[in-house]
This record gives sequence, structure tokens and C-alpha cells, in this order.
Amino acid sequence: MHKKITKRDVKRNLTWYSFILVTLVALIVLVYFPTFKTFYFSTTNMGTFGTDYEMIGLRNYKTLLSSASFLKALGNTMLLALYGLLTIPLGFLLANAINGLGRTKLQGFFRVMFYMPNIITGVSVVLIFQYVLKGNGGLLNQFFSQIIGREVTIGWITDPSMSHVGATIIWIWMNLGYSMLLNLASLQSIPTEIYDAASVDGATALKRMIYITIPQMKSCFAFLFVTGMINGLARFTDLYILGGNACAGRPNGTLQTILMYIYQYSFESPRYGLSSAGAVILFFIVFVMTIFNVKLSGFMKGGD
Amino acid sequence: MEKKKLTKAKRRRLLTAVILAAILAVILIPLWWAITLSFDANAITELPAFSWLPKEASMKNYKYATEMIDLVRYYTNTLFVALVNTAISVFFALLCGYAFAKGRFFGKKFWYFFMLAVMMIPFESRMIPLYLQYSSWGMINTYWPLILGNVAYVYGIFFASQNISALPDSLRESACLDGAGEWKIFFRIILPLCKPVMAALSILQIVAQWNSYLWPMVVIRSSKKQLLSVGVSLFNAQENSIYYGPRMAVAVLSAVPLIIAFLCMQKYIVQSVAVSGIKQ
Repeated sequence: MHKKITKRDVKRNLTWYSFILVTLVALIVLVYFPTFKTFYFSTTNMGTFGTDYEMIGLRNYKTLLSSASFLKALGNTMLLALYGLLTIPLGFLLANAINGLGRTKLQGFFRVMFYMPNIITGVSVVLIFQYVLKGNGGLLNQFFSQIIGREVTIGWITDPSMSHVGATIIWIWMNLGYSMLLNLASLQSIPTEIYDAASVDGATALKRMIYITIPQMKSCFAFLFVTGMINGLARFTDLYILGGNACAGRPNGTLQTILMYIYQYSFESPRYGLSSAGAVILFFIVFVMTIFNVKLSGFMKGGD
Repeated sequence: MEKKKLTKAKRRRLLTAVILAAILAVILIPLWWAITLSFDANAITELPAFSWLPKEASMKNYKYATEMIDLVRYYTNTLFVALVNTAISVFFALLCGYAFAKGRFFGKKFWYFFMLAVMMIPFESRMIPLYLQYSSWGMINTYWPLILGNVAYVYGIFFASQNISALPDSLRESACLDGAGEWKIFFRIILPLCKPVMAALSILQIVAQWNSYLWPMVVIRSSKKQLLSVGVSLFNAQENSIYYGPRMAVAVLSAVPLIIAFLCMQKYIVQSVAVSGIKQ
């Protein structure tokens, strides 16, 4: 029964471990250890680095969950992430139209051009959209003014009641291409025989869409749903810059996300204990989402 | 009859193409407008009405922008960090990918899960301790915090191991019989076969690195070492809502390399995103 460990086995193991060792050490030191520390900090009243602190149990969580500003940030983040999911149906429609062109050069052109905004989602896009969404003379308002023949001055990112719309416009602009691309890849992987059989049976285009295409796209939608939620929950850069490089989430806190809240209490007015508790809450939300991802879409690849 | 049907399908295709072109125009107009503004000499203290071309074309905004911020330095810094990080992350991803795809060693399953589980931990939720850790190592305001974490590019490891496990075992076996060790096999046989994987991961990494914002802002303090994304946003926050043209000049200058790189390699980029599902 007892399996003898030979010298060769040891050598083989050592060789393979030499491939993964650096990465494993980095994972322990730079990922797992700090993550546990976040959990630990979240149970302390740590202020800034180097000051004394003690364990205070779950009091930080209590503070957060009864704090109107944290709940508002949590709500904003959830809502904005949900609105951002509009990219899924829009991307699906776009992908269908592009797919309808057949595998031509034109299809390739549209595929690439619609995807392009996704590449430049850096700071420059935010700078540009500052002026697109500007209340006074912004591009979008100029456009609406032309249409209705009257000056329009909607503060897409300055009016608290419109700011979610403005923020969603930017998000869709940045992410539509990605959704289109994955939808298109998924559409094109549906075996054509299914459609052939259906047209023999005389199914209309609409029926084919409802009974064949959409069920076949389920794993793609699930993947986009979960990744979209995860990315949306971690939203920071664009809203931080739109708010004038501040975490307050101007206007009136309507654009403050969880991450901005955490940043505010980590680097603007440090209360590490509190911001760690916020980070743990973010962790749990993303954790649950990822479990969904694994269950729903068969790990990472949309099930294919 | 046959012919008429064909033209009908053709007409529908044409209509689709026209509609798609219109939507595309709407999406791309902000970019066009930004370029126009950046060349418009009047776009300093007031925002001009939309026009397809600048009313008074000049390079004034670009001159102003490059005087205001040290774009060349930001560029060099960003390029350096992005290239180093991409090389490191892809190389280590391939190493681990190979070990997990073809290796036989104790605890393999455990370590694989250990690695993939990291996908469930958002980076931001470990940011504070990580920052404190680097600061106790005296590494704040150096590039180390930006670089070191890249030896564990988990999405890359997953993608690489999936691709490598699809390679036939016979290649490895024959090399083994010739007495080659695993490292030799990796460099001589696996790496050359992994060129498409390498290309895909490199492209995704470069874009991600170019756009990364929060972490560089946290760990880089001196403006001399700052990266393009943070440097540009600082410029944006400096002035109060004027200097429209110069800001657009900065936006254009910081986006141009990515757009050019994208247009040159669009086929590979689009392919790698579609296949891997990795966003950035």
C-alpha cells in the first residue's frame, strides 16, 4: 500500500514548483495576507497608519450600515451597476444587426469600430464627456436644442436628479462595444443547422429569435450580467474625475460609489478601520457575484 | 423570381448597414468634436458651438497643453511601466499556465484553486493593507508597487493553462525521451507554440496598464514619476471649467497612442477579447 517516494519524484516536484513558486509567494504576500488584514482592520478603530488602535468588534459595520452616506453610496453603486446592464440588450441588438451583414469586410469594419471606445476608456474619455454632458452648451444639450428649437440646459452631471442618467450615458458609451463583441462571438458560435431545421419548419424570424437565438445566448447573457455587475460595483475612475478629483460624488453625493467612499476614508480623511469595513462589504458583494458567475456561466468563458 | 428575392435581401442588408453607420456616427461624434475643439483657437474661455471643423484652426491649444503639463515625461513613465508590467505578467502567466496544464506535482489542484480564487477578491478590497505594506517596505513613490503584483496575473494564468492544455502531449513526450528537462521544453517547445496566447494577453495587458488609475494615484506621489492617466486628471482638476481647448488637446494626446495601436492590431485585439472574455 505504502507508495515509496523516490528521488525522481522529489526532483519532478521541485522542477514543477520552480515554475509556480514566484507567483505563489506573490499571491500569499500581496493578495491573501493583505486581504486577511483588511478583515482584521475592519474590526479595529484604526485611524491612520502608525497610531494606536484596538479591537472594537463589529462596530465599524454597525456604523457603516446605519450611516446614511454609506447606504447612499451603496445604493448609488447598485443602481448605476444595474443601469449599466442596459449594455446587454443594446449590445445584443447591435450584434444581431452586425451579424446580419454576413461575414463580409463591412462586418469586420463595424465590429472593430464599435469596439474602439472600449479601448480608450481612460481619463481622456472622461475629459471629453465632461463637455458632452455639460449643462451649458454641452454637446448633448446642443443636439437637443437643435431638435426642439429651444435652448436646453439639462445638467447631466451637475443636476442631482439627472446625474445617474449622465453617468449611465458615459458607462454605456464605454462598455457597449465589449458587450457587442461578446454577443457577436456567441451569436456566431450557434450551429447553423438549428436555424436550417427551423426554417424548414416555417418558423418566422421573430420566432427563431425567441425560441432559438435567445436560449442559445443564455450563458453569454449570464456572463455579461455578472461581469457587468462586478465592474459596475468597482466603479471609480470616471466618477472621481467628473467630481473634480474628489470622492464626495458631486452633485450632492448622488455619484458617490462604494469605492469612492472607501477611498475617502482611506486617503482623504483616513479612518482605516471604517474604510476596511467598507472594503469587506464590497468583497462580499463581489464574492457572491463571482459564485453566481461560476454557477451560471461555467467559469469565465460564457460556457463555451 | 429568384433575382427579385436576392435584391430584397441585398436591400435589407444595405438598410442595416446604413442604420449601423448612423449609430456609429453618433457614438464617434464626441471623439471628433474633441479633436475639433483641440484645434480651435477660440475654445479657451468659452465652449464653442458644435462644428465639424475648427472655426479658427491653430496649434495654440497643444502648445498651451504641453507647456502646462510634462506630457513627454508622463508618456515615458507610462510606456516604461506598461511594457515592464506586460512582459512580467505574461511571462509568469505562461510559466504557471504550463505547470498547471501539463505538470504532475503534489498539491496541483489545491494551488490551482488557490490561484483562481483570487478572481473573487476585488483588488480594491485589499488596497489599504497593501498600501501600508509597501509603505513599510519604503516602496511608496517608486514603481515597485505597480510592478510586483504582476507576477500573479490570474486571468492570464487561467487563459494560458487552458490554451496550453489543448496542445498535444506527444510534443512533450518526444522531447522528454531526448532527455530535455521541463524548463528546456518550456522555452524550446511551449513558448514558440504559445505565440497567439502571448499576443492576446500582451495586448489586453498593455491596454489595462495604460488605463490604470486608482493604484498609481495611491502609490505615486511625485509628479516626476506620475503616469499619464493620473497626470492628465490632475491637470483637469487644476483649472476651473475653462481652458476647453487645451484640455481636449491633452485628452487627444493621451488617447492617440492607444487608438493608433488599436487600429494597427485591431484584428488581434478584437479576437483576443472575443475569445477570452477578459475585459482588461
